[in-house]
Amino acid sequence: MGSTTLALIIVMAAALALAGYRFYGVLAPVLRAPAAARFDRPGERAAGVLRDVGLHRRLFRKTYVGIMHGMIFSGFVVLFTAILQSFGSGLFPGFGLDFIGGSTWIALLQEVFAVLILAGIGMAAYQRLVLRPARFRGSNGADAWIIYGLVMAVVATMILEHAFRIVQAGSDPWRPLSSAVAGLLGGAGENAVTGEHVFYWAHIAAVLGFLIYIPGSKHRHIFTAIPNIYFRELRGKGVLSPARDGAEGSGISDIDQFDWKHKLDLVSCTECGRCQEACPANAAGLPLSPKKVVMDLRDHMFAREKGCQLDVPLIGGVISEETLWACTTCRACMDVCPVHIEPMTKIVEMRRSLIDAGSVEPMLQDALVSLQRNGNSLGKPARQRARWTKDLGFKIKDARKEPVDVLWFVGDYASYDPRVQRITLQVAQVLADAGVDFGILYDGEQNSGNDVRRAGEEGTFEVLAKSNIEALEGCTFNRIMTTDPHSLNALRQEYRMFGCDYEVVHYTQLLLELAEAGRVVLGDGGGKVVTYHDPCYLGRYNGGFDAPRALIARAGFTLHEMGRCRENSFCCGAGGGRIWMDDRTMTERPSENRIREALALGDVEFFVVACPKDTVMYTAAVQALGVEDRIMVRDMIDLVTASRNADIGTELRRGNG
Amino acid sequence: MHILVYIDQLAGAATGLSRELLTGARALAGADGRVDALLIGGDPAAVTGLGADRVLSIRDPRLDRYNPETFTACVAEVADREKPDLLLFGYCTAGLDIAPYLAIGRDLPLVSYCTRIDAEGGCLNVESQIYGGKLVAASSVDLPAVLLVNPGVYREVEEGTDSAEIVEIAAPDLAAAGTTFLSATEPDPNAVDITKAERLLCVGRGIGDKEAIEDAREAARLLGAELVGSRPVIDAGWLPKERQVGKSGRKVKPRLYVALGVSGAPEHLEGMATAGTIVAVNSDPRAPIFDHAHFGATVDAADFIEALTDALDR
Amino acid sequence: MHVAVVLRLGPDLTEELEINADGTDIDREWIGFKLNDLDDQALEEAVLLKEASGAKVTALALAGEGVERQLQTAIARGADDAVQVGHDLENPGSRAAAHLLAPVIRDLGVDLVLTGVQTSEDVFGQLAPFLAGLLKWRVVNGVNGVRIAGEGLEATQEYSGGYAARFALPVPTVLGVQAASQPPRYVSGSRLRQASAVPVRTLDAALPEGFAPPAVASLNLPERSNRAEMIEGDAAAVVAKLLQTLSERSVLGG
Repeated sequence: MGSTTLALIIVMAAALALAGYRFYGVLAPVLRAPAAARFDRPGERAAGVLRDVGLHRRLFRKTYVGIMHGMIFSGFVVLFTAILQSFGSGLFPGFGLDFIGGSTWIALLQEVFAVLILAGIGMAAYQRLVLRPARFRGSNGADAWIIYGLVMAVVATMILEHAFRIVQAGSDPWRPLSSAVAGLLGGAGENAVTGEHVFYWAHIAAVLGFLIYIPGSKHRHIFTAIPNIYFRELRGKGVLSPARDGAEGSGISDIDQFDWKHKLDLVSCTECGRCQEACPANAAGLPLSPKKVVMDLRDHMFAREKGCQLDVPLIGGVISEETLWACTTCRACMDVCPVHIEPMTKIVEMRRSLIDAGSVEPMLQDALVSLQRNGNSLGKPARQRARWTKDLGFKIKDARKEPVDVLWFVGDYASYDPRVQRITLQVAQVLADAGVDFGILYDGEQNSGNDVRRAGEEGTFEVLAKSNIEALEGCTFNRIMTTDPHSLNALRQEYRMFGCDYEVVHYTQLLLELAEAGRVVLGDGGGKVVTYHDPCYLGRYNGGFDAPRALIARAGFTLHEMGRCRENSFCCGAGGGRIWMDDRTMTERPSENRIREALALGDVEFFVVACPKDTVMYTAAVQALGVEDRIMVRDMIDLVTASRNADIGTELRRGNG
Repeated sequence: MHILVYIDQLAGAATGLSRELLTGARALAGADGRVDALLIGGDPAAVTGLGADRVLSIRDPRLDRYNPETFTACVAEVADREKPDLLLFGYCTAGLDIAPYLAIGRDLPLVSYCTRIDAEGGCLNVESQIYGGKLVAASSVDLPAVLLVNPGVYREVEEGTDSAEIVEIAAPDLAAAGTTFLSATEPDPNAVDITKAERLLCVGRGIGDKEAIEDAREAARLLGAELVGSRPVIDAGWLPKERQVGKSGRKVKPRLYVALGVSGAPEHLEGMATAGTIVAVNSDPRAPIFDHAHFGATVDAADFIEALTDALDR
Repeated sequence: MHVAVVLRLGPDLTEELEINADGTDIDREWIGFKLNDLDDQALEEAVLLKEASGAKVTALALAGEGVERQLQTAIARGADDAVQVGHDLENPGSRAAAHLLAPVIRDLGVDLVLTGVQTSEDVFGQLAPFLAGLLKWRVVNGVNGVRIAGEGLEATQEYSGGYAARFALPVPTVLGVQAASQPPRYVSGSRLRQASAVPVRTLDAALPEGFAPPAVASLNLPERSNRAEMIEGDAAAVVAKLLQTLSERSVLGG
């Protein structure tokens, strides 16, 4: 056996042992964790991997990064051949990839991608050093620089090794970069041989060093990203994970209660900060960064693995209660993460244990008690739920007593809040005028429980859901319609766990159908410029982006989109029970941030919403900012009813808000 | 009718409520009735000008500050001695401690939260506040009886000539009393707890601007009220957070709540809708606050403040 | 120390209250009943005493609609035992309640009774001092902070205007609670559901001979309507009329 081979075997054995030990430290807690059912639907799972890894679909939401990462990633894939060549030729003298083009087109590819990698690292360094995006705040910068250095080292040593060989053997047309470098290296001779030898070993060292470094670095994502994406949640965006049925009660209060997929998430985070950037709570100055939650859980998990932090409680120690209550469950963090990590799900699991322990934010407590007692979060008597109907000129059918085509699930705010009641009345009028056969549940309806579940209150959610389902069982209807996206999500997605399968439409969808059928005639909005805010639970959660836009267009209004629209819509801050909580510690309410975004468009007169909570939040935001004269909050139904009138401007400016 | 009025004291003086009771007692007792003031501890000479016929006073070193146990024993002593037709207490802590205890011990009828009392022969027709003021309960009691009267039912008696006769009564044996005083808390003149104020002047967005706050502050001072604000005013930084009234601020129940330029959003109403008397001033006649106020006016808030300051300054 | 908390249910005041056909009571058929707010505070204070000093807490209530469920909830909150007192009255007031509860309290060997200082409908007197009067125990009302100290306890009593005093007193004692040392804790929906399986025992009690509970002669709406009485005129006129009106109503002096 040659000395090179022997040396390589020894070095590899040592390096692989060390790397393996370190990998074990990372993976042991993951493998030891409780089970998670993620082995179903392999085809769909694999397709997702191809999309997000192969096509970099989520990464390309930031074009600069998409290109940069694409170059580095594809470079790594291609340079894997170089690693094969280096180690292979060391272990088995004479080994080479020539038989498949290792000296020809593979060599060329290696050269080209080496340049791409270096360019990519250059872009990365530029971004980190000069552009300094805010989402990197709190991320481990030193780790990043070490990785850039190691990648550069791997590539550079490879090029230099080839360059020194070219110095001896002559220019290689299949290796243009190495040849160019060779030109700078002087003449053939002893130095060149030594040089090649040195950089061969330097390359080996760089690769092995990188391998040893990776487990302790966020760069481990090169191994964990694919499985993490493969094992992602497929059950449906709007369905929360079922509650753990432990003897200690539901919810997670210790790191080891997280299942292996949660823990795999923790070791897949690259600290890119897209989740932090998208988080409305973070933007509001609340102590929540999804990235930091994942990093803190990860660090705690590793510490426990080493036997440290045994006394540190998960909640109150690693993650603060304020952090957990700050989340609006808008899903932006989950939908934006390139490796499909789920910060929000972890937060809800931890909320469940807080609820179980009775440690609840005081204003939330009032809302939950009201929900338990009265079936609504506003402290109003259940019997008064349909009181808004008194102001109509006609009686809405009682769906509990007679069959209807469309069962309208009204929702808490639409029923009880005076600012939203006027919209509810208009919707009723429009539906009646269009001859829709609809009815409501009157006081048989209770809060759908969507946000109750997201606040962590599984017990009360189940009571509310079962009560609603029982009421619905006694009714005959074709489909359910609601103006409230939160209720829509619960009825369409969450209630499935009780065996229901309702067809649920948003009122914008129904209005569009009516408009297309000519049953609602929309006039001309005169081209007035509006912007539309996609509600989280309608858009991101349930894919309902187009019907509202079609209605706006049909009604003759000009839509000027905000930058953060459709899937990237910026949450108003009400979800996850936050509308029931105290917001005094915020530096800027998400709703005010959003109104400013709309104002920055310059020409928008009306801020159009399609959710009762959005009406409440944005009306308050416009008032708080004092910009009532520059922008007005209007519901979709306002556009529909207004555009039937000749004098649109006055019609839309009339009324509250 | 012989009426015995319990005089409650705070910071060394008879409370306003006690002074109201004396007016009421005089009206009830009529020309040939007798009104006695019952003072435990304190200086009877300070009470002789309040219109009672006699001041029945018990003094003892152990009675230098209110103590539920010793004071109840003293009142019992006097009540058993005098056997009045009517024992009048104000709806205050001492009244709650003493009146029901005595009433059940001596099998006397008791009516609480009285807002109106009429005598009819040997009977009293009483109206009481019930269900947070949503309803009024009318009842009839035969004398002798005990009543706990709400504040604001009568006017405070005016200080007149010191004509009452002081009757010193010996204290009962207080040595066995087990309740011992440990420490007292007095309100910090600097800290503001708006939930304890009897009168509040609230400013909303309709007040105009920050300068208007100073005018409002002066008006509040003259009115004997604490200045508070609705959420937009606090958000704008015009008033500190401890002065916020509303769902995410403090919930208050003062006797008088004057809301200036406040629209009456549900979150604000939640903080003050149960106040005794609510006055709303808002230039918008459709402002929801008017559905929850007792009195209203649609004049400009700033004009109102100016007029109020002028009127009170005189 | 054995602490008993007396719980009472009362009408939910956020609802509209209607007067019944007789005109002597509210129409109780359709309204919701909930635990009296101040009794909620008393329950919390009792559980806090248990957590601080190991006291035993018994939740006590007169039998009635929804009472058993309420007592079970008290156990979910932290009470050790729940007892309902059977009787044959409809809607007993505080005075009758005191007569019914006093012997039970004595029999249970209770040292300290906590209950809310008042309810929304105890027009004929408050339970805490009534109980104390019958049991011949000490009573302190308007209490906002209780601590067990040695064989006895310490309590803070509130007066108007922000004044307060702290007393030490021995047991047995009755306290009329205004506020617990901490706001009532939250009980999750699942715990409430678990609590519905807990058994509640019943003890019977009877009123003394010849006891006639006081009764409301009639229940009426207060004189004002919901809408504000608008004052016309310019600012000066409004202020003048307002000051006069407030003075007449004794809201402002003189």
